[in-house]
Amino acid sequence: MIVRNPVKDQVAIVGVGTTPFARSLSERTGPSLALEAARNAILDAGLAAADIDGICSSAMAYYGSAGANPAYLQEALGIPETTWEATIPIPFTFPLMNAVNAVYSGACTTALVVHSLYRIGASRSAGNDPFRARAVPPAGFRAAGPSTDGYASFASRYMHDYGATKEDFGLVAINDRSHASRNPHAVMRDPMTMDDYLNARLVRWPLGLFDMDVPIDGADAVVVTTAERARDLVEKPVLVHAITGGRTEHPNVTSTSSLEWNAQHVVAKALWAKSDLTLADADLFYAYDGFTVITLNWLENIGWCGRGEAPAFLRQHWDADADVVRIDGRIPMNTHGGNLSEGATQASGHTREAVQQLRGECGDRQVPGDPKVAVMALGGMYINASAMVLRTE
Amino acid sequence: MAMTDDELLSRYPWGAIDHDNKAQWKGFLEYQLLVNRCQACGHWFNPPRPMCPRCWSLDVRPEPVSGRGRVQWFTLLYQGGPPGAPSPYPVVTVELAEEEGLRIDATVVDCDPHDIRCDMPLELTWVDDQGAPLPAFRPAT
Repeated sequence: MIVRNPVKDQVAIVGVGTTPFARSLSERTGPSLALEAARNAILDAGLAAADIDGICSSAMAYYGSAGANPAYLQEALGIPETTWEATIPIPFTFPLMNAVNAVYSGACTTALVVHSLYRIGASRSAGNDPFRARAVPPAGFRAAGPSTDGYASFASRYMHDYGATKEDFGLVAINDRSHASRNPHAVMRDPMTMDDYLNARLVRWPLGLFDMDVPIDGADAVVVTTAERARDLVEKPVLVHAITGGRTEHPNVTSTSSLEWNAQHVVAKALWAKSDLTLADADLFYAYDGFTVITLNWLENIGWCGRGEAPAFLRQHWDADADVVRIDGRIPMNTHGGNLSEGATQASGHTREAVQQLRGECGDRQVPGDPKVAVMALGGMYINASAMVLRTE
Repeated sequence: MAMTDDELLSRYPWGAIDHDNKAQWKGFLEYQLLVNRCQACGHWFNPPRPMCPRCWSLDVRPEPVSGRGRVQWFTLLYQGGPPGAPSPYPVVTVELAEEEGLRIDATVVDCDPHDIRCDMPLELTWVDDQGAPLPAFRPAT
């Protein structure tokens, strides 16, 4: 891997926007949620339609979720001229990264990045050739064998290799729920005890209901521009210091080599090679929590502790009064409640929350001490791992 | 073998079969688990593709495996299992004995799902799916 980072600190997040989150917003549409978040993000940046010249949407149709594509957003927002667009798969790091790169390269100067969630069924089409028809299989076509997809199988190996117990996974769920209980935006806010966690319905052993993110209807958006322009626009530009994806040659759960080497390791290697800042500089930590096992692995692979040590690490740094982890007594994880309790946002929520915490805007949820650096380990373990470091000046 | 593509497709009307993997599906009908093997460097890989991912040779051929393997990781589906299947429904990633990293997903039969463990030795067996054979695994005897 040849690592370079010329974009370091050259692009900043200047606006964030969101919508109400709920298990079901049935009077809304996916595109209208995207529109609302986009409008809010542009206004938050102190900008208007004519200031936006690039649009990036997340690609969510595969996941059965309707959003808005760049064309819809441009028309609905009345944006007169754009020179760049993209539709990029999640987690949110990837649409964001593409917008950052577009701004840095000059493909555009001020980009809107939007991710919206609205659950619908998937639709497919088929051709006439019987093989081609199966290449885009309608519902009912399947592989020869069932798939171990869904992260539960990694959790079975994590328990086997390291002697981990369900309680160890429960710490991740409880941490998120404790933060969510103080976040009016979160959909799951009732405090969670370990008994609550252990009694949750099993879905895919060893994972149960509280190991899995909460599907929501809602949207998030950010606006990015050059760091130079950002300093004129807003009081606290949030600079993208380092941002990366990572994959191995085994980007599926069946062939992932092991818990010892997978996409997370590639991400960590690239992130720390690109970043001037290290974990020692972190004030805030965000770890992807689509499934609790992902979070335990990120704690280890991003460098807080060694392989298999995340449960002991969480316990060692646990704040029993607040029922959250506070690394070194100071650094919280997933201050918004994460995918598990604020709502499943594929990291747009983590991004929005990190920006607002770094800008000091979170009111009575604000992490004290003027946090300046957020380390964010986002995405999963085999196909969509990513990470970034955001900072203020 | 003499089977036509249309005959194969009619035996597995629900199968995600394409030109690259049809030899493996045809093998199922003969109760054979065929896995692509590079004839240049000997590398085994699954699922079937026309090129060796290790040395990029295009000389790859499906060969039968021994059927021996072990559990790499697994889950028990309390929801989302096939209709009519027992619950929980076990789904296992099997590491086949032929080569480290050679994997296939399947269910496990002849075993209480709660007895499945990572690294448990397995052997190939066959289950019937709507009148056609599919590979499965059972605890090695």
